[in-house]
Amino acid sequence: MDKEKNTFEKALVEAVDEGLLMLGESGREVIYFRLKHSYALGKEDIPSHPEIFVECLRKIFGSGARVIEKAVIKSLYRRLGLKFAEKEGFDFFEYLREAKKQASKDF
Amino acid sequence: MYFFSNAFPPVISGAAVVVSGLSLEKYWRRAKGSFSKVWLFFTVGLFLWFMGEAVWAGYTLVLGVEVPYPSVADVFWLAGYFPYFIALYLYVKVFGGALTKKMLAASLASTLVLTIVVTSVLLVPILGAEEDLAALAADFAYPLFDLALFSVAHLGVIIFWTGKLAKSWFFLNASVAVDVCADILFSYTTANNTYYCGHMLELLYHFGSYLLY
Repeated sequence: MDKEKNTFEKALVEAVDEGLLMLGESGREVIYFRLKHSYALGKEDIPSHPEIFVECLRKIFGSGARVIEKAVIKSLYRRLGLKFAEKEGFDFFEYLREAKKQASKDF
Repeated sequence: MYFFSNAFPPVISGAAVVVSGLSLEKYWRRAKGSFSKVWLFFTVGLFLWFMGEAVWAGYTLVLGVEVPYPSVADVFWLAGYFPYFIALYLYVKVFGGALTKKMLAASLASTLVLTIVVTSVLLVPILGAEEDLAALAADFAYPLFDLALFSVAHLGVIIFWTGKLAKSWFFLNASVAVDVCADILFSYTTANNTYYCGHMLELLYHFGSYLLY
């Protein structure tokens, strides 16, 4: 169970890293800096508090944050070997829950 | 007003090129992604506008030309719109997924309406004036190029509306809106031969520059 959790969390941290790269390295660093200083959230803590990560993105990018969220989710699915299919009405957290559920089946 | 209006713009636009160039250097060195290209095109656009301002200042302050329009300065100014447009387009494209089809349709419709309004406002006075072809083309080009910028820039406000980035996009749009008004007035007054260097409408250009830079 712990191994399963660790694998998922590691994949999510890497997915966030890759997803944020769409902003360029400097842009990614700005987000991490903001998370650290405004929300006291380190990069490694994102899997435990994804809602803070999303709130930070939405406060900066408004609805543009959705694009970054989707890039993170796509990267996560790929890292977990899952097939990503867009679902109407699904937000970042629902995709995340779905990925966790599907991944736990495969472990 | 005459000296300020001619000497001040090259200074402030030159400072903007330097600041933009520093951002470009920062992005370019670290990763050659979409935003490096955005800064590249933005810097090139600002540089061309700076050249336009510098050439205009050269004509008016050094050569003593009363109204250097159309001139080489206009070639730089008009050329600057292209990289600036590309920079805005590339930025908005990265976040394009946040726009719905309805939003895009509404935005296209509003840009078309504005284009029709601006063209019809200018059509009679400009075509009625006895200007050469270059002046005629420039009279229409400036406001229409402004609207082309607006067509992309307002999408930035829509995308980032509830975010902190909206503020920057708001200023950018405000600068484009002020430039549209200034360019309409400029085209109108040059067509009617009522424009002179140091005209009050130049305050609009300065205000637009403040908002942008």
